[in-house]
Amino acid sequence: MMEQTRAGRKRGALGTAVLYVIVVIALIWALLPIVWMVLSSLKTQAGMFSMPPKFLFKPTFDTYRQMFSASGGFGHYLWNSVVASVLSTAISLVLGTLGGFALARGHFKRGKDLSFWVISTRMAPIPAVMLPLYLMFSKLGLIGTMTGLVFAYTTFNLPFALWIMMTFFKDIPPALEEAGMVDGCSKFQAFWKITLPMAAPGLVATGILCLMFAWNDYSFASVFTSTATQTVPVAASLLVSQEGVQWGQAMATGTIIILPMLIAGIFVRKYLVRGLSMGAVK
Amino acid sequence: MKKRALKAASVGALGTVMVLAGCGTANTNGAGGSNADNSSGSAKTVAARQVAAPFPGAVPGLPKITAPAGFNWKQFAGTHLTFISENTPPSSALAENIKQFEKVTGITVTIEQSDLSTVAQKVALDFAAKSDKYQVIYPDPYQMLAKYSYDYVDLNRFNNDPTLPHIPGGLNDFITSQLQVDGYMGNKDHLYALPYDCPTMILFYRKDIFDNPKYKAMFKKEEGFDWTPGPNLTWQQYYTIEKWINQKVKQGVIKGVKYGAGAQAKQYDSLMCDFSNVLAAYGGDYFKAPNLGSIGTTNPGPSLMNSSKAIAAATMYKKIVQAAAPGSTSWDWNGLAEAFAAGDIAMAPEWHEFASMMENPAKSKVVGKVGFAVLPRGPVRSANIFGGTGIGISKYATPKEQKAAWLFIVWATSPQAQYMILKSKNGGETPTRYSVYNLPEIKKGMTPGTKESKEMPNLLAMKATLEAWKPQNVYMRPKIPQWPQVDSIVFTELSKMLANQETPAQAMKNIAQQSNQLTGN
Amino acid sequence: MLAPSVVILAIISIVPLFYMIYASLMNYTLNPDQPVFYQLHNWLSVLRDATYWHSWGRTVVFVVVGLAVELLLGTGLALAIYHIPKGRNLVATLWMLPLFVAPIVTGLLGRFLLNTTYGMYAWLLQCIGMNTDILGTTSTAMPAIILMDVWEWTPLITIIVLAGLQAMPEEPLEAADVDGASYWMKLRYVILPLVKRAIVVALLIRSMDILRYVDTILITTQGGPADSTKTVGYYLVQVAFQFQDFGRAAAIGLTMLVVTIFLGKSFIRIFARGEE
Repeated sequence: MMEQTRAGRKRGALGTAVLYVIVVIALIWALLPIVWMVLSSLKTQAGMFSMPPKFLFKPTFDTYRQMFSASGGFGHYLWNSVVASVLSTAISLVLGTLGGFALARGHFKRGKDLSFWVISTRMAPIPAVMLPLYLMFSKLGLIGTMTGLVFAYTTFNLPFALWIMMTFFKDIPPALEEAGMVDGCSKFQAFWKITLPMAAPGLVATGILCLMFAWNDYSFASVFTSTATQTVPVAASLLVSQEGVQWGQAMATGTIIILPMLIAGIFVRKYLVRGLSMGAVK
Repeated sequence: MKKRALKAASVGALGTVMVLAGCGTANTNGAGGSNADNSSGSAKTVAARQVAAPFPGAVPGLPKITAPAGFNWKQFAGTHLTFISENTPPSSALAENIKQFEKVTGITVTIEQSDLSTVAQKVALDFAAKSDKYQVIYPDPYQMLAKYSYDYVDLNRFNNDPTLPHIPGGLNDFITSQLQVDGYMGNKDHLYALPYDCPTMILFYRKDIFDNPKYKAMFKKEEGFDWTPGPNLTWQQYYTIEKWINQKVKQGVIKGVKYGAGAQAKQYDSLMCDFSNVLAAYGGDYFKAPNLGSIGTTNPGPSLMNSSKAIAAATMYKKIVQAAAPGSTSWDWNGLAEAFAAGDIAMAPEWHEFASMMENPAKSKVVGKVGFAVLPRGPVRSANIFGGTGIGISKYATPKEQKAAWLFIVWATSPQAQYMILKSKNGGETPTRYSVYNLPEIKKGMTPGTKESKEMPNLLAMKATLEAWKPQNVYMRPKIPQWPQVDSIVFTELSKMLANQETPAQAMKNIAQQSNQLTGN
Repeated sequence: MLAPSVVILAIISIVPLFYMIYASLMNYTLNPDQPVFYQLHNWLSVLRDATYWHSWGRTVVFVVVGLAVELLLGTGLALAIYHIPKGRNLVATLWMLPLFVAPIVTGLLGRFLLNTTYGMYAWLLQCIGMNTDILGTTSTAMPAIILMDVWEWTPLITIIVLAGLQAMPEEPLEAADVDGASYWMKLRYVILPLVKRAIVVALLIRSMDILRYVDTILITTQGGPADSTKTVGYYLVQVAFQFQDFGRAAAIGLTMLVVTIFLGKSFIRIFARGEE
């Protein structure tokens, strides 16, 4: 997908070497903690604590075995995290796409204010809105349920999706839809058949970012979940208990939490970059 | 296919919106009215013949769980209870054995465990919503009882009800001071919770260092006193020992540790606890009102932190922390325990239940090397801060749920359940019942090297802890509704003092001034 | 089409907003279940609260330094990745990984690495003679917290700016090449202006969250030592959840909201200027 570098055609071998050195240093900075986390998760606690650091050792999978055993229940938390993030992302994308399109095409009075209001709904400090949200959720019986959690995630994902999809649609000329409507499409058909496919990479990029926000959330999940609906970040925070920090499990949790995203990341990274490059950031 | 799923999802979201618009106000408000009869509890009204409850695991020598003859243990079958608790060993142990209770009563119980601040946060929000999501609560006396006492049911009502099971062994079987702190607020008219866990700070020290005859003799010769930790050691001497070990480690004379002492001086609750031991040893306290630390009060009176005692304590504490292991200012009790278990530290005040971690070879390099004693004394006394909590029932639970919750509490705080928790493989926690400590088996476990001590390693710390629980030795922080803020003022100013931003006198003055402003004195 | 979203947004924003205004006028400290009218006491106590202003000071340090470092590093690395002839996809994918480590885990990991007993980074520092406890010393705790934020979020800036770079039109660059411009001149006058909008979007997304997300502080320093890492976001957590003073929390929350909106508006204004 990337063509030959355009800006750097005349760069010499030295420049390229410098660039690689920079990139390698950056990668060490980014990856060393992660590598250390993965290695630590494969050690016994005694091994984990022994300094100077060891990079070669006999790995043990005991921590993982324990976490995924019936009493560890980690598989369950993972499932909760996946379900809550995917559902809230899906809801946000559907509503955000429709709303974003309407916002981009409609002629609203004070349209700019409207779109800023949309994104501003995501800005409220969480602890301050927790009480009203909790009261609402409690009245509806949503505390501790998966529906409640999905809805809580939607509170920050929907404004984001709506706003960013709007910027994508603004970059797609309305003339294309108008042409379609001349050909006999309804307004919705024109949107569905013409505009939406063009915005697809943007949709994917938005979806990935929404997934990331939901996947990483701790503030909402810590209050709105119960044992049955607990997500991975909440489970991670519970490893700091009165009897000490369960470092082995903490490191294993960290490893597991990036795995799905690593796998997904490999597949979707190019859509992410392409998607972002078409709308929001052009 | 996919399209349809997305549509369904969006319809679902719309449905949610409509429900929101027409939100109901139905609210079950359980009987919150208090019982006029304010008997102090110990099952005076036993009228009917008592019959042992069908719970397995009764231990000879412990008071049995009983109920009036003909009591139907299954009468609340089908009721569901949620018990919200801090993620502590007793709750893990209860969770493992909850089937016992569920089988006998038919009541199902979910034990929801979070860190203490999340528990406090969820309970506060739930009370604000007047919801009955949590029927059984772990009310930390300082964060969740003092401020919200009227949100809990008066347990005397159940304990005096002739048709219900009563507290096995009676209230007198609970450690007296713990029952006062965990159970009451402001007066003894209402009993809000029963003691459930009981961590207490004592001194952990390395026997391989302190009992080493060579080190011991050398210290005696150079510093002029016997350094054996015990009731006669003073904080001043503690500081001398700390510096001496640091120096000898540097010189290569002492091997096996890196630092003389450690502290839990992170800007956090642990710092207040760590400091309180010294403060009370010097005869100081946070406020003037009586009963501050026992049954608590809503008006703590003026702050006493401006006193010369408090300043002397702060001066000593600062010296101790500044000579302690460098990690001390970022450690809470966990960080300190880890460093101690890694063999870095010769002595430190720590919660007694960390004993089991020290004796766990997977987590500790100092197995068998740790000794326990009451904390050093100041000019006035030895003070060992208590940090336990009880279990109570939310008044927003329905009457039926409240009674079901009572059965759960009777079981969970019973001597036999406390014994079971102590024996749990998960490390266990020490009981809140005198009767358990009187069992010969448990007494044996307090001596190092016995089979029982290996089975229940927390008992190793119990000799010192039982000493620490004596009224003259235990320290209870003020139980007042404003405590969370006062706590934060205290540990924040202390942290500034340790960072050399304030002198001890300034820090104490700031604590006094801010606390007075907060409490309106 | 807009209606469902607007209804939901209204519920999740307007209801809490009015509730916050209401709560900020109520006293929750006496009896949190039945707050009583408190006039402007919460507001006055917040505005007179030295800790509150101190926490804004720490917030400015955290936000300004954090955003600046993230922006410079993120943009610089986007340029580097954009210019390397081979392995771009691999590098970008690996560089993105920290984004998916939940902040709460980032905090735990930071604590683990910096622990003086067994932390790998602490050990490395000890090797070069730095024996201080990073998270327990006032001068180093804030930089450490900032670096954790930088570690986690710089990749987001990189990805967005990289997307901007790839969307650049060819012509202006070619024209610059024809004119024989140096790389720095091209960067200054052609590339950066073209990706300006990407940078602003990245900044907008980050600035919305940097004020309100405090997960890493929560799990590491909890504001200490000596309040050196107590940002206003963390202070709010303390007031709302530890003190359970919902009235004062609402007042603090509203002031934060105003500042966030002001920041957001400013970035959008730059954004709009960039478009013309």
